[in-house]
Amino acid sequence: MASRLVVEDVHAGYGAVRVLHGVSVEANEGETVVLLGTNGNGKSTLIKSIMGMVAPARGAIFLELDGKRIDLVGRSTEDIVNLGIALVPEGRRLFPKLTVEENLLLGAYRRAARRDIKRNLDSCLEMFPILQERKRQLAGSMSGGEQQMLAVARALMSAPRLLLVDEPSVGLAPILVSRVISKIQELKDRYQLTVLMAEQNFNQATKIADRGYIIVHGRIEFEGASTQALSEHELVKRFYLGV
Amino acid sequence: MLSLDLLLNAIVAGILLGGFYAAVSLGISVAFGLLDIVNIAHPVFVVLGSYIAYALNSALGLDPLLTGLLGVPVFFALGVVVYRLYYASFEKTGEESLRGLVFFFGLLFIIEVALLLVYGVDYRMVEAAYIGDSLHIGSVGIALRLLVPCLVGIGMTVALYLVLSRTFWGRAIMAVSQDSQALRLMGANPVRIKTIAFGLSIATASLAGALLIVIGPVEPSIGREYIGRVFAIAVLGGMGSIGGTLAAGLILGVVETFTATYYGPSWALAVSFGILLVVLAVRPAGLFGR
Repeated sequence: MASRLVVEDVHAGYGAVRVLHGVSVEANEGETVVLLGTNGNGKSTLIKSIMGMVAPARGAIFLELDGKRIDLVGRSTEDIVNLGIALVPEGRRLFPKLTVEENLLLGAYRRAARRDIKRNLDSCLEMFPILQERKRQLAGSMSGGEQQMLAVARALMSAPRLLLVDEPSVGLAPILVSRVISKIQELKDRYQLTVLMAEQNFNQATKIADRGYIIVHGRIEFEGASTQALSEHELVKRFYLGV
Repeated sequence: MLSLDLLLNAIVAGILLGGFYAAVSLGISVAFGLLDIVNIAHPVFVVLGSYIAYALNSALGLDPLLTGLLGVPVFFALGVVVYRLYYASFEKTGEESLRGLVFFFGLLFIIEVALLLVYGVDYRMVEAAYIGDSLHIGSVGIALRLLVPCLVGIGMTVALYLVLSRTFWGRAIMAVSQDSQALRLMGANPVRIKTIAFGLSIATASLAGALLIVIGPVEPSIGREYIGRVFAIAVLGGMGSIGGTLAAGLILGVVETFTATYYGPSWALAVSFGILLVVLAVRPAGLFGR
């Protein structure tokens, strides 16, 4: 059951605007890989390219499942989700007028997730006690932190092999960021997930990352084999640590 | 003078009428309330359902309710075709707001004129064992031709509610207009979901049409009387709320019957819309809107 996500020399953008200029990224089974970069450097565009929400102009994106290569470029977002890739999107994108429970059940829409829906729902509610409390409340009426928890739990309901997380810290108070991040770590350990996370909060992201990439102006400027290597890199020092 | 018998009869008749109103409005609650599709042709699909019930009743002697039930898959398919056309011509390019309205207006006229050409302007009716009978409880009379549609209407409401709240498709239908991109991230294709939902919406018109012709004789343009009313009911109940549609149907049914009994039928619709305005002023989301 070895799975690996490979992004190879991807060029992508919106209309005439090129955002990614030949990005290559990999996430191996069981790894937590972080994609670091400040706003406007192409993190979200890369995530969207993987999910089929932005069509790359060039390059390959594929999933290796037990030695078989499955190309993602050209597939619809639904197809990609059905392969077992889930995204916690930037801005959470919950269904505000559905209840917490309805949001979670929709997370299990893909056929492969329906079988274990009861078990997955129970374990989501156990991992996120706040959601158990708010089960019947409309998602739109919860606080930002609670909504982010729901977005993570909803993605998990699809029983993914690979979890993509796009900027989980945006709009959250620091204490909540740290809580969301440690939740992701907890989930990862529990489900042996492969996680690819785009984040600009360096300190929080490196708490749980195995390794990572630094993306600047649509190019991977540095690939750190460990968080140690990342934090010692001059780009990180310049951008994040103010040294 | 207020007589108790008259009052009771008005309330009972209103409730019976209300269950039927719900049946006619359910399709609008789905199309307009959940999908943002202003299908003003919905009442004429209901009338089409009536004529199919009439045709099969007069030719083969089939029970109109049975015909209505048999017509459900056919109307579902019709809804699928109509939505595909609407999607490809308007929604896909984001031109649905005004041109889509014109599309449904056109559809309304085409179906209406087709019915006129085939069946003429005369009123048509059906025959069934329960039409003409009534129950008497004390001084209150319950005509079966009103009771049966009310019960079927309530049954349709319950069935639709269960489909929407208990199935994966149903929940996706409730979510699709809130964020269709996020729905893709759940692994559902929004266009497919909307197609199914619109098919369901038109499918309700088959049964509602059978109910309409059980209640009374039907002519091709009778649907126009219902255009304002069904939208009022869908909005009053709360956009997309199925239970709310039944509640709003019952309220409007009782209010209209009450007004018609005490002040004259010409006031009935005016009072209904008056209530709609007051409710919207106090609760903009409607009675049961989320």
